[in-house]
Amino acid sequence: MSLESRGIVSTRVLVVDDEPAIQKFLRSVLVAEGFTLNVTDNGKSALSAAVLFKPDIILLDLGLPDIDGVEVIKRIREWSAVPIIVLSVREQEGDKVKALDAGADDYLTKPFGMAELLARVRVALRRFVQASDPVFRSLDLEVDLARRRVTVKGEEVQLTPTEYELLRFMVTHAGKVITHNQILMQLWGVAYVDQRQVLRVNISNLRQKIEEDASRPRYIATEPGVGYRFCSLS
Amino acid sequence: MESFNSLIIKTRTSVFFGYLSSICLVILATLLCELLSFFFLPVNLLMIYLLTVLFTALKLGFEPAIAAVSLSGFVYNYLYVSPRFDFNFLDKEYIATYFGLFVTGAVISSLVTKVAERAEALRIREAETSCLYSLSRKLAVSGNTESILQSVVSNVEESIKSPIALFLAQNDQLGIAAVSSQLALDQEEVDIANWSYQQNSTAGYGTESFNKGKLIFFPLRTVSRTLGVLVIEFDERLVFTYDQLYRLAEAFAAQTAMALERVNLSTLAEQAHILQSRQNLERALLNSVSHDLRSPLSTITGVLSSILDSGENLNEQVRKELLENAKDEAARLNRFVGNLLDLTRLEAGSTVLKMEPCDVQDLIGCSLAAIDRKLKGRDVNVMLAENLPMVPMDLVLMNQVIINLLDNAIKYSPILSAIQISAHCTSDNLVLRVVDAGAGVPEYELKKIFEKFYRIPEPESVKGTGLGLSICNGIVEAHSGKIRAENLKDGGFAVTIEIPLFGAVMEKETINVT
Repeated sequence: MSLESRGIVSTRVLVVDDEPAIQKFLRSVLVAEGFTLNVTDNGKSALSAAVLFKPDIILLDLGLPDIDGVEVIKRIREWSAVPIIVLSVREQEGDKVKALDAGADDYLTKPFGMAELLARVRVALRRFVQASDPVFRSLDLEVDLARRRVTVKGEEVQLTPTEYELLRFMVTHAGKVITHNQILMQLWGVAYVDQRQVLRVNISNLRQKIEEDASRPRYIATEPGVGYRFCSLS
Repeated sequence: MESFNSLIIKTRTSVFFGYLSSICLVILATLLCELLSFFFLPVNLLMIYLLTVLFTALKLGFEPAIAAVSLSGFVYNYLYVSPRFDFNFLDKEYIATYFGLFVTGAVISSLVTKVAERAEALRIREAETSCLYSLSRKLAVSGNTESILQSVVSNVEESIKSPIALFLAQNDQLGIAAVSSQLALDQEEVDIANWSYQQNSTAGYGTESFNKGKLIFFPLRTVSRTLGVLVIEFDERLVFTYDQLYRLAEAFAAQTAMALERVNLSTLAEQAHILQSRQNLERALLNSVSHDLRSPLSTITGVLSSILDSGENLNEQVRKELLENAKDEAARLNRFVGNLLDLTRLEAGSTVLKMEPCDVQDLIGCSLAAIDRKLKGRDVNVMLAENLPMVPMDLVLMNQVIINLLDNAIKYSPILSAIQISAHCTSDNLVLRVVDAGAGVPEYELKKIFEKFYRIPEPESVKGTGLGLSICNGIVEAHSGKIRAENLKDGGFAVTIEIPLFGAVMEKETINVT
């Protein structure tokens, strides 16, 4: 089912990748899904297309021939909050973190499958049509954001204020990757940006409380070298 | 070793000094006889002279001893054969006495000097031998050219007390490799060294060519070629005669040449070994690349072309199967390329570890999540010790290690058999262990499995790249850790990793910022 079935105007996707084969693949798949596409192969035209084409979402390859992908993200973020999904290869953990910290919304590791791509695009777009339901549900977990209540299988779980804030931040960004820095900035402020072990301990404690088996977490997934992703399951 | 200083060699004592000393000794003996003549008959005084001759022979050599015995005869005649203070050569008694004295004196002298010479020769020989022995002992432990040159120079300076220089040839060009500080070579001498090297023949003092200076040049010969030149200075004031020095230096040159050749050959052998193992590795790499890249590519190509060419004729079920197969192969290709890149980076040393205190449970959790699809519902028992500390490591790389180990465990154990991961700490290390119920690896191959491109021959159906464990090995080593594999007594196979805690361990409880 296409994402367009509900809307009148089709979603506009800007694809920035200098590899013709990838362009072709994305074009055929995304057009079939009903998206309107604009494809460019360098950073400069991507920046102008971001203004002229007015995309609803940008798929951006980090290795561009002219401008560094992270730089492209920074310039777009100066004036626009359009969702950006970074396309990268596995070996670039450092670049991924830089891109995410610069304002990218998510990343996809090449090679990726169609289902994965569409899922990420959906999550990134959802931010704009956020449900007003204050209760977040995923499998056995329920987080009532209005009443600050967390239950697993209907039983209330006692969380410390930090753990609750952490969980709240994650569920409100469910499906999206969040970097260590983003969480530390949000919860503890700039001074704590280097205190990753504080974050790790809190994540570990949170998992003990909400996960059935903390060694095989279903909700809080670690993205090694990058950050965490809260998996929204139904 | 006996120092050569003590070797005062008899031939160095001048002839004049020898005769003078013998005359003095005879005079001394005569004075003694004069004193004793009050108590003894003149015949017995002859013994004093014989003793003098014996002493002379022992200390001064054969000729002075003969001089002493002749002189003694005359003095004896002059003083003790009547008439006193006059010569009487016609006395029959005296002729017999003189003859007896002379023959006895000559025989004793000859025997004594021979014994003394032999003892002296033995001492020299022994000193030379011990000199060479000490050099060869030093050379035997010298592993490289520099230490050989150093041993030779210091040994020669110590034992012969002569300045020495060593030239070595490189690409047929002779250059000074080592030289005593008190020896300064001029251009002419360098030219002689070159000549000696080119002609492969001895030159310098006492030889047939270039014999004006004080230096002697010995080519460093081996069976097949000349390696350089040993230069030694001959100084008459020193303890050695020319012949001795020549013999010693020649032996030194031979020893040096042999030692240098040995080092050269072992370097060559080492290079050959490195080359051989590199060639083996390259062959393995080529085989692996051609096999591991081509076979998934041929599957993918086959699937795609069959669907392109006759897609309409295939039913939905077959089409789906084919495509799934192609997708799996593509994933395998991706893994292989990733592995190859990881390994290349590890080996090139371009991997910089991002060491951060990590939650071991998190490490195992993400590895399991990454490999979840392959587990296909298998039981994985995770056993973590209570209160595991945060352990400093590069999470991304260690994650790769655990994934590779789990991947192997899945591949090499029966379908649906359980896999076990455990973690505990010793005082210095984090110990991680992955155990499967597979048949394991033959004992003699246990070490080989960490080598690149090594694959256990059985079972053949398993698709591996032979890179997984060598990557694990590389990553664990980069963490200063250890990895080992073992077959378990009651069946199964275990890989154990130890990662040092570096003391930088934080109890989880101590950090609780709220």
